[in-house]
Formats: sequence, structure tokens, C-alpha cells
Amino acid sequence: MSTQNTIMLVDDELMVLTALRGFLELETSYRILSFTSPLAALEALSAEPVDVIVADFMMPELDGISFLRQARATRPMATRILLTGYADKENAIRAINEAGLYYYLEKPWSNEHLQLVIRNGIERSALFTELDMRVSALEHANRELYQIRHRLIQAFL
Amino acid sequence: MTDRTPAPEGAEALAEQVTQARLATLGMLVAGLAHELNTPLGALNSNHDSLRRALEKLQAILADEVVSPDELEEVRRIVRAVDGILRVNDMAVERMSSLVRDLRNFGRVDRAELDLADLHEGLDSTLAILAHQLTAIEVVREYRPLPRIECRPQQLNQVFMNLLLNARQATPDGGRITIHTGTTGDAIEIRITDTGTGIRPEHLARIFDPGFTTKGNRVGMGLGLLISRQIVERHGGRLLVRSTPGQGATFTVRLPLDPAGGRTGTIPDAEVNS
Repeated sequence: MSTQNTIMLVDDELMVLTALRGFLELETSYRILSFTSPLAALEALSAEPVDVIVADFMMPELDGISFLRQARATRPMATRILLTGYADKENAIRAINEAGLYYYLEKPWSNEHLQLVIRNGIERSALFTELDMRVSALEHANRELYQIRHRLIQAFL
Repeated sequence: MTDRTPAPEGAEALAEQVTQARLATLGMLVAGLAHELNTPLGALNSNHDSLRRALEKLQAILADEVVSPDELEEVRRIVRAVDGILRVNDMAVERMSSLVRDLRNFGRVDRAELDLADLHEGLDSTLAILAHQLTAIEVVREYRPLPRIECRPQQLNQVFMNLLLNARQATPDGGRITIHTGTTGDAIEIRITDTGTGIRPEHLARIFDPGFTTKGNRVGMGLGLLISRQIVERHGGRLLVRSTPGQGATFTVRLPLDPAGGRTGTIPDAEVNS
């Protein structure tokens, strides 16, 4: 596991992107990757893992929900957060359920809340990653046990 | 699906429906503006908080009146962050100011109702306040030089808004709306062409009828084109439509270069029941 957590920010509005980045750089030591283009963000995702993705909803290239759904396919462990200016909670809730989002934040957002959600998101990703590693280790151990048992049986036959 | 709102009984009922139609458009406009304002507001709100935090950090460093080399590095980092934040604030304030400017231009609040106007200005301010609705559409402006004309600009802006909203609603995401302007002989032409679903031939003759709509049976629907045509006709012009189903539609506003016929101040106020 890397020592520095990586946060990906995606919003076609440079204004919002810079404000988010400015706040996180001031208050945290996360490595920040910011993109105004969701397609460029997807490309970057296939090159390196991130812990948390925060994406805007209304983007001309690709809407935030579709983007986060595609991001999930590439990086299933990353925690996905939707930042929406739209006051249509119905759509947002549906998206959370359908695309398996972790959280949705409304604009204008509270920095403190955002920081908390990101911190929890990092923890969640770390837990998932650890769980995944443990499951792999368990499977590996299980396979070894099976082979030992097989060899033991072979030895006594 | 084609619907017809209940047939209006006389001029009064029609006037009532026209008011409803205007309110419906206004409601949509306000919702769009709320969203447009939310972006700079979100940035300003966050930055305000960040600046307060930056100040607190600086105050904490200065509290003992001694700045260590490590702290100096931290101060430099904070100053860089503040610099970036202030630049975003400039952008946000400029965005909000230009929104208010566009609204003023569109509503012509501080100008005469009957005015010598540049129609490109009207088209641009209408497009600006519709920007939120038009994000997924390519908008092409093919403007040729237009002389200023004596008109009621606020009413013509309402026509542009109706036609652009119709075009947007008919055009799927990724489509195109082209606004072509120019003069032909003694008339000004403004053509708004979309790459949308088009209008079925049997509907073409009815689209200017009061209450005709294919967008469901909501109050105030189906009057936008009627209002638009009346405004254009009161300027001595014509509103024309051409469409190939499946390929889109073109609405043409044709206005005489001298709509008042040389007699300034004679363009009647466009009211359906006047």
C-alpha cells in the first residue's frame, strides 16, 4: 500500500475543480489528480490506482454517473463520490443505488463535510483492499493445504 | 403523442393561457439560472472557508512571534494556496457579473421598450441565459452584418427564447443548432435550424394553433409558437417554418428593415387579446 493517498477530482468547471484542489492542498497531504475531462480521467485511471474519486454530475463529455460506473470497472476498490449541483435527489439516489456510489454531495458543498467523506472513503478503500488481499492470501493458503492433504493421502496410499 | 389543451373560450381565456405559457418559460429560466449561479457560488463558498482556514494557520504560526525555517516553508505553501484561491474568486465573481449583465440585456430592464436594437445582442443574451440548457448541443452562430432596427427588443428576445427552447427540446444530445442571420432585399432574416426530430407534415399546419403541442398536456404548453408568431407579425414580419421529419426543422423570423414603415412608435404591443 502506498503511503500517500491519491484523490481524483473530475469537474468540467475549472472554477470548482480549483476550489476543491485548493482546499485539499491546504488542509491535507493527499496527492491530488484533477481533470476537467472525464475521458482523460478514465485514461489516467487505467494507468494508476486512486483511493477516492470525486466527480461532478453535469459534464458535456460524459455525465458523472456514467463516468463513475466506468471508473468502477477499471478500479473497483476506489471509493466513488458524486458532486451534484442538481437539486434532483431522486436521480441522485437512483444513481447511488444503480452505480453503487458511496456518497453524493450537493453544491454548494461544505469543505468540512467533504473532508470527512473523503477521509471515510479512503478508509473504506483501504479496508476493501486489505480484505481483497486477505481473501487472496486465504485462497492461496487453502490451495496449499489442499495440495499438502493430497500429497499426504498419496504418501499413505 | 399529440395533445391539445382544452380549446380556449374567447380572447380572455387565451390571454390567460398566454400568461401561463410565459410563467412556464420563466420558471424554466429561473431553474436554469439557479443552476448557473450555483457553480460560482459553490466555489466562492468553499474558498471563503479555505481562506479562513489559511488565516488561522498563519495566525497559529505567528502566535509565538518566531518563524522557524520549517514554518517558513509552510507559510510559503499557504501563500501559494491563497493566491490560487483568490484567482478562482476572480473567475467566480466575473461569472456572476456576466450572468447579471446577460439577464439585464435579455430583459432590457434599463432601456426603452421601443428601441433601435442590434438583434445579434438579443440573440447572444438569450443564448447566454439558455447556456445551461444547451450544454449537450453544438451551437453554431452564422452571423452576417445586420443593421440596427426599430423594434421591441424584449419581445423579440422572447421569440428567440421560444424558438431556441423548441429547437433544444426537439434535438437529442450531441445535435446541433445553427443560427443564421443576414439581410435579403428589404428584410432581415434570422434562421434557427436544428438537427432534431423534425415536424410531421400533418402537424406543420397546426403548430401555430393555440394549445397545439406534442410535449404533453401541461398548463401553458402549446402557446410558444403562437405568441412568437404574433410578436413577429406585430413587427410587420413573418415567422416561417420548414421541416423534414427525422432531419430537423428551420424556423425563419423575417422582419422588414423598416418595421414601423417609417412611422416610429407604431409597432403595437404584442398582446393576444388586444
